[in-house]
Formats: sequence, structure tokens, C-alpha cells
Amino acid sequence: MTNQNISVVKVRDTLMVTMPADPDDMTVTTFQEEVLRAMEKYRPKGLVLDISVVETLDSFFARTITETSRMVALMGGQTVIAGMRPSVAITATQLGLTLGGTLTALTVDRALDLLTHPHPRRQRR
Amino acid sequence: MAKRSRLNGATAVIEMKGFDNQAFLAAIVESSDDAIYGKTLEGNILSWNHGAERMYGYSAAEILGRPVSFLVPPTKPDEVPQILERLKRGERVEHFETARVRKDGEVIDVSLNVSPIRDASGKIIGASTTARDITEQKKMREALTQRAKEILDVSTPVLQVWEGVVVAPFIGTLDTQRAQQFMERLLDKIVETNSSVALLDVTGVPTVDTRTAQHLIETITSVRLMGAQAVLTGVRPAIAQTLAHLGINLADVVTRSSLAAGLRVALDVLHLKISSQDGEA
Repeated sequence: MTNQNISVVKVRDTLMVTMPADPDDMTVTTFQEEVLRAMEKYRPKGLVLDISVVETLDSFFARTITETSRMVALMGGQTVIAGMRPSVAITATQLGLTLGGTLTALTVDRALDLLTHPHPRRQRR
Repeated sequence: MAKRSRLNGATAVIEMKGFDNQAFLAAIVESSDDAIYGKTLEGNILSWNHGAERMYGYSAAEILGRPVSFLVPPTKPDEVPQILERLKRGERVEHFETARVRKDGEVIDVSLNVSPIRDASGKIIGASTTARDITEQKKMREALTQRAKEILDVSTPVLQVWEGVVVAPFIGTLDTQRAQQFMERLLDKIVETNSSVALLDVTGVPTVDTRTAQHLIETITSVRLMGAQAVLTGVRPAIAQTLAHLGINLADVVTRSSLAAGLRVALDVLHLKISSQDGEA
């Protein structure tokens, strides 16, 4: 068993993490630890979790995402989940894994928009 | 004077004076509309009724003594040996749907019932086959399936009405299969058009039951998980009443009474504004 590495990249004020296609429990646990370590180190405003290549979302992964976003919020950051595939969304809904109201975005681009302009309507004018 | 007796162990008939039971049973078989024929365990045809003549086009004189494989289309060479194998083990073959070839070369769909025939000692000596022409029936069934598929196809379009806005008009009632297909189409379209807002229009839905509402909520949740926002539009008074009476919680869902009002919400989300040409909003 190879342990899939998780790299947490800091870009400006944001942490970026890309999850592998089929993350196992070990990878998911590592993800949480790495994110929290980076939160402490860089004090970013937000976290973008790119799951656009993820093919299976199990209950452990879903719970960890919800938990992690709460922990990130406690440390002053906003989490956005980006790029969930249609098939994954359908399965997750049917299993009742709704990620506890975490912000979502279609793409990483949109996620960054959300983080940089949380109230764009007001910012525009 | 009537007396009950059993012929060949199974068929009960009433025995009457001066009455030929064998001939009576033979007449029943002969007058049947289904094709009924007997065959040896090697598959050679021993008897052939009128129904069989009508169905296959061969007269008894033409077919008696020939193997049943004579009636089987060349594409199914293993079928008769398999049926005979099962008969030798004493098994019946029931409602077996297959194809047979008529004398004029036409292939017909048939449903076969084949059962072993035993002699007085219980030894299997042959088999009787009842065949029914189900060509029409099968055509009808296929036409129905085809129609159902067509309805499924035409009734769940997903349209892009603006950059970043897709509309999915629901029509009719939603069973699980349609809901599933609808949801897949909608989600794929959202990805394809990179749309942040999906308007789910229920103007064409006559009534909402708990299950339909459940499907709607599931769709809305999936849309949200993907990072887009769903707006439920076309909620007519009757639908609103039913939803409230059923106690379905749509508190987290943005709803509007018309598609136009929904489009306004969508434009708002996208920070777009429609203004008239003389500059007034």
C-alpha cells in the first residue's frame, strides 16, 4: 500500500489541496492533519479543497471534510469545496452525505472568487 | 352411469357408457387453437394438431417423423438438444420464449410449454409441446417499451437560457427512474455549461406527492454539493398547499412562483441587471 501524498499549497491568502481520485482513510486523515498544520503556520483566510478528480466519497471522507471545515473556521478560515462531479454528488445525496452546509463551488476558479469577494454585490459598486 | 377414471395418470375424465374417452381427449387437442404436438426423446415429431398446421403451415403428413429442429431457426442450434436434455431428467419447460420458422420462411415468436410423457411404468418415453404464437404480443410489448423510452427522452430537457443559468422544466409526475435520469442530465448540463444557477421549474407538474418532493430535494442538494445554486420555480398555489400540508421542509431552498421571477433571482446571483435601452431599470 502506497500512502498517497497530500500537498497543501499556499497561494497568497489561500490554502489549496487537491484530493486524489480514490482517497483511502489514511490519506483522508493525513489531509486533515496537513491542513491544520498549514493553517497554524500561514494563517490564511481560506481553504480550497479541489475534489474534481475524486470518484468516490465515502462517509468517512465526507465526515472529515465537514469536521475539517469546522476546525478551519475555528482557526479563522473559510472552506470551499470545489468541483464535485455529478455522479459523486448524486451518490452523496442518496447516502445523506451533505457536508453540513460547507460552501461549494463548481471550479477552483469560482472557489477563489468566493473567497476573495464574499459579498461581490457590494464590492462591485 | 358415470364413473371417474384417470387417463395417463393426470387428466381426470368422467367415464360414460358408450363414450370413447380417448377420442374425446384427442378431439380437444385437435380443436385447440394452440399448436400441440408430441415428439420422441430424440426429438422426432409423432403427432401434429390442427393448431400446429395453422401456426407453422405444415400439414401433419408433411411433418410427422421429422425432427423438431426442422422448425428451429438456424441461429439457435443448441436449443432443441438443451430442451430434450431437460426432458430426459423429467423437467418441464414452461413459458419458454423463442423463435420458430414457418413453412413459408417467416420467423414467428412463440411461447413453448414442453412436458415429458411417461408410460404406465413411469418411464419417460417422449414429450408434448404446446406452442403459442406471441409475435403480435411481443411487438406490442416492444412498442410499449419504446414509447416509454421516448416519453422519458422528450420530457426531461435541460436548457441553457443565459450564460451561467440552466432551466430544467419538470413535466408530469416523477417516478424514481425519471427523477434519476432528470437529475443526471441536469448535473451534467451544469458542468458542461459551467452554470452557477439551475432553475427547476415545476409549472408542468400537476401534483406533488411526498416522493416527488423527495426527488426534488435530492436534486437541489446535489446541485448545491456541486457548487451551483438551485431555485425552485413555478410553484403554483395548489403545489404550495400540498407541500405545506405534507410538511415538507423547503426552508433552505429558494423558491419562486414563476420562472420569470426565478430568472430574476438567477441574474441577481450572477450580479447581472437587465435595463431598458433608454437607461431605466
